[in-house]
Amino acid sequence: MKVMIVEDEMLLAMELESEVEAAGHSVVGVAASSGQAADIVRDAPPEFAFVDINLQDGPTGINVGRMLAEKRIPYVFVSGNIKKLPDDFAGAIGAIEKPYTINGMANALAYISALVQGDDSMPPPASLVLAQDAPRPVRN
Amino acid sequence: MQEYDQRRTDARDAGQRLVARHVREDPFAAAFKATRMPMIVTDPTQADNPIIFCNAAFEKLTGYSSVEVVGRNCRFLQGGDTNPETVARIRSAIDAGSDIAVDILNYRKNGQSFWNALFLSPVRDDNDKIVYFFASQLDFTNVKSREAELAAARHQAEEAVAEATRNLRAALATRTLLVHEVDHRVKNNLLTMASIVKMQARLTKDEGQRSALMSVLNRIEAISTVQRKLFTTDDVARFDIADFARELATDLVGAIKRDDIHLTLDLTPVYVPAVKASPLSLIVNELVGDAVRRGLSDGGGEIHILVKRLNGHFLIRVEDTSEPVEPDETSAELGRMLLEASARQVEARIERTQAGRRTIVDVTLLVESEKDVPY
Repeated sequence: MKVMIVEDEMLLAMELESEVEAAGHSVVGVAASSGQAADIVRDAPPEFAFVDINLQDGPTGINVGRMLAEKRIPYVFVSGNIKKLPDDFAGAIGAIEKPYTINGMANALAYISALVQGDDSMPPPASLVLAQDAPRPVRN
Repeated sequence: MQEYDQRRTDARDAGQRLVARHVREDPFAAAFKATRMPMIVTDPTQADNPIIFCNAAFEKLTGYSSVEVVGRNCRFLQGGDTNPETVARIRSAIDAGSDIAVDILNYRKNGQSFWNALFLSPVRDDNDKIVYFFASQLDFTNVKSREAELAAARHQAEEAVAEATRNLRAALATRTLLVHEVDHRVKNNLLTMASIVKMQARLTKDEGQRSALMSVLNRIEAISTVQRKLFTTDDVARFDIADFARELATDLVGAIKRDDIHLTLDLTPVYVPAVKASPLSLIVNELVGDAVRRGLSDGGGEIHILVKRLNGHFLIRVEDTSEPVEPDETSAELGRMLLEASARQVEARIERTQAGRRTIVDVTLLVESEKDVPY
């Protein structure tokens, strides 16, 4: 599967790229800002994307997510604060909360890859919070 | 002028008639005259309901002499700041011939105002006809000004509270922002540390080095998971060790993709204070990691994890059935040290029993009961 990584921490992006490739996928591009993400989607459309919420141009990851949802490109958020996500998860499959573990990411990737290929028989891993299961914060 | 004089004379006459009806020794008349309560009597049968009698206390209160007030309607006590609505209420009570008790701002002869608690009541004859109005006055200016002072003080206090609340809210918002920022930094830094170790593990050609790096990564990731789970909950102060065990074990067993390792879980939420989260998680990490390593090397096995409360204690049991193997000496020593230090940190007791292919490790620890209550 062709994967886009939207992440402004280059070291994290680089390592995630290695993990994605180790799992047998290819990375079509790494974007550090919402503008770069739009460029990659235009020039080398991915089949799937990892999207951080906070990017170089601010908390624009959610906008990137909405753009992907409009183009029907499946994606998950990868963020240290998934509570910041809107209730509808901006159309994402789910979210992987940082700091993820090597096993957590590998399991999530296996699940997502099956899902993108139309196989929804796998149980979702603990590391992936699915949009429909996201805990709604209770405000008092 | 002549008419006014006539009215005054009539009023005075009426007053004198009233007094004349009482003999000098009449205790009621004497009491009326001598009481400290200011009182007047008016005659509604005469035009404009004039005062026909006032006592000494009234003279003292208002500064007017009896001669000055008799024959006049008592509206001369009103002034610029007297509430017209109050006057209208008195007016309609008189018209209706009913009692009324009101607070009204009146003025003394010298122009000074005072708060008057007025009580006005009709006096009826045998035929139920109103023959007099009786009015008593009470100067409560001091009470009124104390009320005003109290109201001002309360207002001031409320302002101060509102100001303090605003400051607290602002401080809280700043604090929350700071906590989120620090939390975000810590999470990113932990992941960055893990990424550096992963990169080096990927680069190295030496299997021993790689295995050592992965061993370090494993512990960094255990601590990372604690940090993630600690701040995922709304209640930062608590940490569910069962939830941690579930994620750790399912992720680990899921990632090794071995059909011959079977994991079963029996988990009840057990909340521990945040300070105990890291050492307890390291204990769980060591025990589960050990069990999986045994299962990996011997070609399969069963792993069962139990977390439950037990009479004020709580128990973590990791049980595995596999062929016992002699582990790598260094990694076994590291695991032993981590277990020992973590157990000492949280005052946990670790018991290991081994019988044939089965290894059972029990970790028991006292937990504060109020921390156990799940919401």
